[in-house]
Amino acid sequence: MPGISGIAYKNLRRKRLRSVLTVFGIALSTWVLVSLFGFNKGYEASLNKDIDNLGFQVLLTAKGCPYEAATLMLQGGKGLRYMPEGIVDSLKTNPEVDELTPMLMQTVFDVNKGEEGGVVGYLGIDPQTYPKMKTYLKFNQGNWFTQNDAMEAVMGYEAAELEQREVGDMILIPEKEIEVKIVGVLKRSGTQDDGTIFLPYKTVQQIFGLPGQLTSVGIKVNKSVDITAYEEELYKIPDVQVVSMAQVKNTISNLVSTARVMVMSIAIIAILIAMVGVINTILMSVLERYQEIGIMKSMGATTAHIFRLIWFETIMLCFAGGVIGSAMSAVLGKVTDSVIRYILPYAPTGSLVRIDLALVVRAIGIIVAIGLFSGIYPALRAARIRPIEAIRSADGEF
Amino acid sequence: MKHKLIFLLLILLPILLSAATGCDLQDPDKDVKRLFPGSTGFKTSYLSVAKSGGKALLTRIETALGDKFSGTYETMDVPYTLYHVYKNKTLLGYVHGVNQKGQYGGLQVFLALDPGGKILGFYYQKLSSKNGAKFKSTAFTNQFVGLSLADFKTLDIKTGKGSGRAAAIKNPAGTDKDFLFTLRGIKKNLVLMNVFIYKK
Repeated sequence: MPGISGIAYKNLRRKRLRSVLTVFGIALSTWVLVSLFGFNKGYEASLNKDIDNLGFQVLLTAKGCPYEAATLMLQGGKGLRYMPEGIVDSLKTNPEVDELTPMLMQTVFDVNKGEEGGVVGYLGIDPQTYPKMKTYLKFNQGNWFTQNDAMEAVMGYEAAELEQREVGDMILIPEKEIEVKIVGVLKRSGTQDDGTIFLPYKTVQQIFGLPGQLTSVGIKVNKSVDITAYEEELYKIPDVQVVSMAQVKNTISNLVSTARVMVMSIAIIAILIAMVGVINTILMSVLERYQEIGIMKSMGATTAHIFRLIWFETIMLCFAGGVIGSAMSAVLGKVTDSVIRYILPYAPTGSLVRIDLALVVRAIGIIVAIGLFSGIYPALRAARIRPIEAIRSADGEF
Repeated sequence: MKHKLIFLLLILLPILLSAATGCDLQDPDKDVKRLFPGSTGFKTSYLSVAKSGGKALLTRIETALGDKFSGTYETMDVPYTLYHVYKNKTLLGYVHGVNQKGQYGGLQVFLALDPGGKILGFYYQKLSSKNGAKFKSTAFTNQFVGLSLADFKTLDIKTGKGSGRAAAIKNPAGTDKDFLFTLRGIKKNLVLMNVFIYKK
């Protein structure tokens, strides 16, 4: 004689199409749920990796510099704001500083770029300190500059590919008509450095006539230091502004939060629809088996037996839907990743959706719990059926 | 908040600056209309040496060009974008661009061709040169109008010497090496069009 699980399974098989559609609905809800959990986890991790790849936690720029830089970028015009190079020496004395690196960014308008010209950017760096902060940068060809003020450049992977440059080739700095020799081409890093043309910052100072000037200083603080407190200290330096990577991270997170709320709302709606679907399926099933349940009770089945039977059917549907949905989310992970990338205002590099076993177990647990909750009402209605009334009735009726 | 957003834009700048790769027209609708003023539409197709004939075809192309293919933009699987330009249902011609290594950076050499393979127009979509204005001048680019692959057959792209009409074109910038790179780019473009489309 079959147990409750066997009877529940047989009951579900009696209306296969309805059961399959219900399971499919639950599976879709689970897919959304698992993907959402995976996104929360993956996005955070990828964003942290991108921020870590910047190599420094605090960026010090000349006051107003980013505004001017944006203007320059968008319109190809006027100058950036600068800070004196001497600031590097004064920062070195701060006990909070582990390492720091000076940078000088310059952009020029190249009339020969495209039909209407375009902006070309150069990042002046210190070959002694910058590579230490960007330890992930590896060379495809060549190496860093031979001297601190050499007329040499290192190109990021994509920049070199676009310009078809190799070690030994030359590049021309538009407007200045100065030739610079390529001494290194970096391997693909998956970061913004792939599209960058690096020069020694002393060379950039020399080419653009900016002796002793910098646009920014990247600061890596000691691990034990309270970054927020140190940032407050840095704010006391006149005419500079502090951009904390933690703030940048928060800004990106805020940008993404709207999309996240939207996805969460869709997930909740999907789960509610699935819940209603489950209740509907089980209620229909109970209604159709009104007489049958009455006979079962007249043959000795207790209220608890009927309640467990109906409840078990609900759980089976939800469990099957949960497992299929989790499998779908794992198989279609890349599709979900692409869709999220399309929606989001900014997506970090790396996988945006990270699905692991713990996450799958948690999602299935939630779906089964929802099933348990959804199954209470139909199970109670079934358990309350009176045998005599049920056997007498022509049609299933409550 | 605003300055943080702008900072974000700043850190993404290099990516934005380097976003365009391959050799597609930057603004196909506008560019095709400019090159074929009477056109009413165009169709795009993607071709590669690997798909069209593989290694044997590459050898044929290299022989016709008189030079080996090398570098990122000259591998067998590089996709070439070809624009078929129409006036209603009549084929007016083609627009095809190739990447070519230049003296100071990559060149993008675009040709507008008639259905028989004659050059109707030539321009640089991208050029890094001290003599950019000279190379882009119509006095130089118009000299290629009316030429076809046959005119480049005897042209040695490494020296610029030969006996055809193409060899008669002078370097507009003295000894600037970008002249030879341009000749190579144009000849490569015509050779590829010949194997992909004209099959002469």
